Amino acid sequence: MTLTTRPDDARPGETEPLAAAPVDARLAPVENPAAGRRDNRPDALAPRDTLTPLDGTLAERLVTTQAPQRPLSTPAIRIEVDGRVVEGLEGQTILEVCRDNGIEIPTLCYEPKLPGFGACRMCVVEVEGEAHPPISCSRLAEAGMVVRTQTDEVRRLRRTNLELIFSDHNAYCLPPCQNKCPSHIDIPGFLKANAEGNFREGARIFKRTIPFPSVLGRVCPAPCEDHCRRDEVDEAIAIRDSHRYHGDQVLRAWTEDGVEPPVPFEQQPKTGRRVAVVGSGPAGMAAAYYLTIAGHEVTVFERDPEPGGMLRYGIPQYRLPKDAVLEPEYEAVTLLGAKVECGRELGKDFTVDDLLNQGFDAVDIAIGCYDTNKLGIPGEDAEGVIDGLEYLRVATLGLEYPGHKGSRVVVIGGGFTSMDCTRTSIRQGAADVTLVYRRDMKDMPAANGPYEELHEALEEGAQAIFQAGPVRVLTDDHNKVTGVEFIRMRLGEPDASGRRRPEPAPGTEFSIPCDRVLLAIGQGPDLAWLPTGGHGLTADKRGRLSADAVTFATARPGVFASGDVRIGASTVVQAVAEGRRSAYAIDAYLRGLDLEAIRTRQTLAEPQPVFLSIVPFTGERKEPRHRLRQLPVEERIQSYIAYEIPYTRSEAVAESTRCLQCTCEAIGYCDLRRLGIEYGTTLATLEPKYHQGAGYRSVTENRFTGINHDYLRDDSHAFILREPARCIDCGRCAQVCAEVVGASCYDFMRIGFDTLVTTPLDMSLNDTPCVSCGRCAETCPTGALMPKPRVLQKYDVDESRCILCGICVDACPYDALRCGPDNELSHTDRVDPMIDLIAIAAVDMETEMTYVRRERDWAIRAQREGRIVPPDRLLPVLPPQLVAAGNGGSHGDGHALGSGHGAGVGGGPRGDEPGPMPDASQARHP
Amino acid sequence: MVAILPGSAEQTILLARADAADPGDLDAAVRAGAFDGLRRAVRELGPQGVIAAIRAAGLRGRGGAGFPTGEKWAACAVALADRRYVVANGYGADPAVLTDRTLLERDPYAVLEGLALAAFAVDAHEAIVAVRAEADLAVRTLERAVLEAEAAGLLGADVLGSGFELTVTIRPVQGAYLLGEETVLLKALEGKRGQPEQRPPYPAEKGLFGRPTVVQNVQTLAAAAWIVANGAGRFAALGSKASPGTTLIQLSGSLAAPGIAEIPLGMSLGDVLALGGGVPDGHRLKALLVGGPSGGLLPPELLDTPYEYDALRAVGAHVGSGSILVADERACVVDLGKLLTRFCADEACGKTIPCRIGTRRLAEIGERLANGTSRQNDLQLLDDLGHDVVESALCDHERLTTLPLASALRYFRAEVDDHLLRSTCPAGVCHPTVVAAAMPAQRGVLLS
Repeated sequence: MTLTTRPDDARPGETEPLAAAPVDARLAPVENPAAGRRDNRPDALAPRDTLTPLDGTLAERLVTTQAPQRPLSTPAIRIEVDGRVVEGLEGQTILEVCRDNGIEIPTLCYEPKLPGFGACRMCVVEVEGEAHPPISCSRLAEAGMVVRTQTDEVRRLRRTNLELIFSDHNAYCLPPCQNKCPSHIDIPGFLKANAEGNFREGARIFKRTIPFPSVLGRVCPAPCEDHCRRDEVDEAIAIRDSHRYHGDQVLRAWTEDGVEPPVPFEQQPKTGRRVAVVGSGPAGMAAAYYLTIAGHEVTVFERDPEPGGMLRYGIPQYRLPKDAVLEPEYEAVTLLGAKVECGRELGKDFTVDDLLNQGFDAVDIAIGCYDTNKLGIPGEDAEGVIDGLEYLRVATLGLEYPGHKGSRVVVIGGGFTSMDCTRTSIRQGAADVTLVYRRDMKDMPAANGPYEELHEALEEGAQAIFQAGPVRVLTDDHNKVTGVEFIRMRLGEPDASGRRRPEPAPGTEFSIPCDRVLLAIGQGPDLAWLPTGGHGLTADKRGRLSADAVTFATARPGVFASGDVRIGASTVVQAVAEGRRSAYAIDAYLRGLDLEAIRTRQTLAEPQPVFLSIVPFTGERKEPRHRLRQLPVEERIQSYIAYEIPYTRSEAVAESTRCLQCTCEAIGYCDLRRLGIEYGTTLATLEPKYHQGAGYRSVTENRFTGINHDYLRDDSHAFILREPARCIDCGRCAQVCAEVVGASCYDFMRIGFDTLVTTPLDMSLNDTPCVSCGRCAETCPTGALMPKPRVLQKYDVDESRCILCGICVDACPYDALRCGPDNELSHTDRVDPMIDLIAIAAVDMETEMTYVRRERDWAIRAQREGRIVPPDRLLPVLPPQLVAAGNGGSHGDGHALGSGHGAGVGGGPRGDEPGPMPDASQARHP
Repeated sequence: MVAILPGSAEQTILLARADAADPGDLDAAVRAGAFDGLRRAVRELGPQGVIAAIRAAGLRGRGGAGFPTGEKWAACAVALADRRYVVANGYGADPAVLTDRTLLERDPYAVLEGLALAAFAVDAHEAIVAVRAEADLAVRTLERAVLEAEAAGLLGADVLGSGFELTVTIRPVQGAYLLGEETVLLKALEGKRGQPEQRPPYPAEKGLFGRPTVVQNVQTLAAAAWIVANGAGRFAALGSKASPGTTLIQLSGSLAAPGIAEIPLGMSLGDVLALGGGVPDGHRLKALLVGGPSGGLLPPELLDTPYEYDALRAVGAHVGSGSILVADERACVVDLGKLLTRFCADEACGKTIPCRIGTRRLAEIGERLANGTSRQNDLQLLDDLGHDVVESALCDHERLTTLPLASALRYFRAEVDDHLLRSTCPAGVCHPTVVAAAMPAQRGVLLS
């Protein structure tokens, strides 16, 4: 059309001259040189060249001349997508038109640089009048087309596709250990560093999520180990003992050689903001640590003479040596600049108001739980009935509790505190110690905690009685304890925590004579200071300080609460996790970010599918766990000496080497995971009740489980890591490598079910024409091809020699160097190549959450504009609260959306009873 | 060498010259009528006339899908391009079917003439005959035929003195079952891995090296040559109204006289069976596998079904490779279904997910039925997965792979239930009892 326009016909100001001029220029030189070239060659050798005009006529040239450019203006077309009329250009595919108009169609194999490939079948859409749904990446949009992208039918096809992929996807997203850790430590990461003998790096990785590897290495119940996949081979990894070792190495290097402990992240420049943390327990100190690293000025207020909270005054010396472990670990926090003021008690020495008036920009209340629960039985106030915590407080100071030696002691409870009371009583020379727990032994909270400790206590001479509850305390005339009457309990229906609730069995009463009763049946926070000291702060109905589960914000701006005071008595690891997360929330608050947005994002991000192992590990060599040896009983009950003998270096390395490294570096970047969340898993399916019956809505409950592949990892290449087990055969790498790069390192190999996109003969990339450009890793929708993590300490750039040529910027495969305002050299320390949870959070926001949020906004907008929102469009993606908000959306603000629910650290249903680690026991009930 | 069954068509078209003493003898072939059609096309009809004749005859592609040939040529002829190609698909994907190969061996000139006609009609100057590399005789016969035809001026730089130039290349291809699919064959000819492309655009618009390409089965080309030589009307009078003409089929399995036959389309399956002499005495017809490995298993009750594209599709089978395999009571449909599905799954190119994983899962469901390890809801799963695979399929291979098990379930439900519920295989082929006792909970209790 433009071709036939002659230049002199065109009027200025129109597009015609622009189009006509190059055409003319292109046509003119064709005639002579081409013909001349052809004449010079001997006829026999000349390949037939149909591109060269046979004669010089204009018509012939028009027919044979190709026009590689798009015409300067492409006619616009209109198509209807999901009831909306959208505009696109002729020649665009349905997918391109939809994406240009902000309509999301899921794809896995589509590479925007290249024409549609059609391998993943995820972009199927319904086009009116067509029997089979076409794939939108290959089908050209035609004017008047009516397209539907989210019908039940195509969504079902996509879900079937995803299920099929997952049925042959031998890979994990998060390793289960990391998933189950309340603090989500990068466990495979530090075990790998340990296995390489790099204990300092292991400690640094650990400290990214928990500042105290040595403390937690002694007192953590290690819920991670319950879920270790190594269990399928032989025995779970001793994760706790492994980080205990590297933590101890760091402490030893510090005390003996003066090498300061590693700091997980680069400490940020001073922000000038001041934060007061009330309470120096694990939660408060963890918050102080990460707030200090974030550049804030932190002061920790502690009511006791020494910092540590429960760590110092609740946990006995033999479990956690104070001088050798606790103090140096805490010193690492003050070393960074945090200040600790002891002997200052909230409500007595100061109030929250005081802190804010003194210029603190934020206050984090982490005062823990010190109010021991009451039994509520007759005789509880008798002389000789002692609060377990009070008892431990005296004992941990190294003092003898008056009159304990030679007495007969009954300890009531089944958690950590009861165990500490039992074993401390033995060490203090009690004549006879009996532990009584109302549930069964197997219901004791965590395998690595009281349950295992119980055996050690029994070794040391204690007695234990299970399934018996106290009825009354027997006293003599002087209101002095002479014994306790118990009643046998039988197990009833499971309660909210999943454990069967004990019920008394009448007529089975019995009594135990004793002199002392130690109560260790849980604690609640002491909030007596609230009326005087906490304006605007409230307690919830369980007597805990009210604060948001994600943002940790109380009703009062700038005041946050974290740790046991918010969630009730819990484990150290949970408290540390609270502290760290609250630190990030406070940091976000101090930086002026929208906490509501963060909360929405976090709440939605909470349900994460864990793609369970499909194949049992059969090829692994069995290599049982290295257990810590212990001092003989006679020796250890004599004093508060730490009775576990730590690993030797070789044992620590050997134990860490057992880790199967079932983690994925692509988490947060993975399209498959994002779509898996969107299509396979809804919030509801994570609830146990959905795991029964014929429902198969979660990806983990795969209909198609069958034979599958387990490929070997190939890390022979210096920059590109290949993990074929994560490959979904989308062919993007092969396409990009062949069509864009021109190297053709990959293609589909083998046929049928065994097809895999790989190199010829599965050779190393080093043997292919690979140019290390990294395009394949860039385009890979999963973690099958990854930029290889490299530990580079620091780039040393001699700036006096740099000529600012920019070649490094062009050549860098990872966009690490950019042309900035000054120059393009990077000064950033690159010690942190592993998974960074904060970075993941940021990426999550960019990927799955933008989609979810867009859905939500769409729902609100549709409602506002009076459009009917089909519930099926919303349900699989949005949690019910948001659906409700979207459909009722007269007020679409964030407050309305997020209120009234809080996904706690552990998730899942939580009982009223503040027992430690409800999740662990819950997991035992399928 | 496969027997050619005699007297099978009231008028023999494709195999008219099949009993020639020397199939490569050009003079003899020309005396018998070879290249009459091309001569007529070049001298009288012109390209438009050829396409009109093919359209009038109602010829449909013999590759299995039955797409109208005239429409394909017309689409290719009007597509704007600097060059076009014509490809004869003589690969004969089904390893058990030798009809295409037999045609190439017995009458290469019929195919070459049809090829030249197609090229003439769409103004292509390059034509390729893709032959199975293992078919040595066919390759040699074809190569000799091309040389002789070029020497005689029937092909080459100046076809029959008309100035029309046509280069014919014989391309022996090695590969897999999937090469029967036209876009896969084109990929292979380009030197790439044989994987299908999304259609549309069809090869007639964007085919070999991105140029408009006519891909035609060799039988179609031979039929086209006959049509132009003898008139569309005579051809249309043969066969059924919707699918005129004749086609080659291969009868195998439990038959008295298996072999290749030329039949008019629309002949009933019962009559086709009679051509092969029927099921041997002492045995009973149990099932017909119509369409090759990805065909449907049809019960004896459907012997009235006409052998014709649309009618077979309607009953869950297809013309496919032209194979009709007869199974008697010694065969088990569950076993057949599982083997065929597994074969097709293993031959998949692995490009799309429903095909690479989905068809394998279908085969696994069949295998579980056969060895007695079925899970709850397996039959429902078979149905659901089959439907989803068909719906999101890229090429026909994927769609048709669902047929063996789906048709087994549709027509032989009692036998499937024997495996599933009663742990027996009536034919005594499978052993669905192995795990039955050990895993009672896994039996398909939710079937009703």
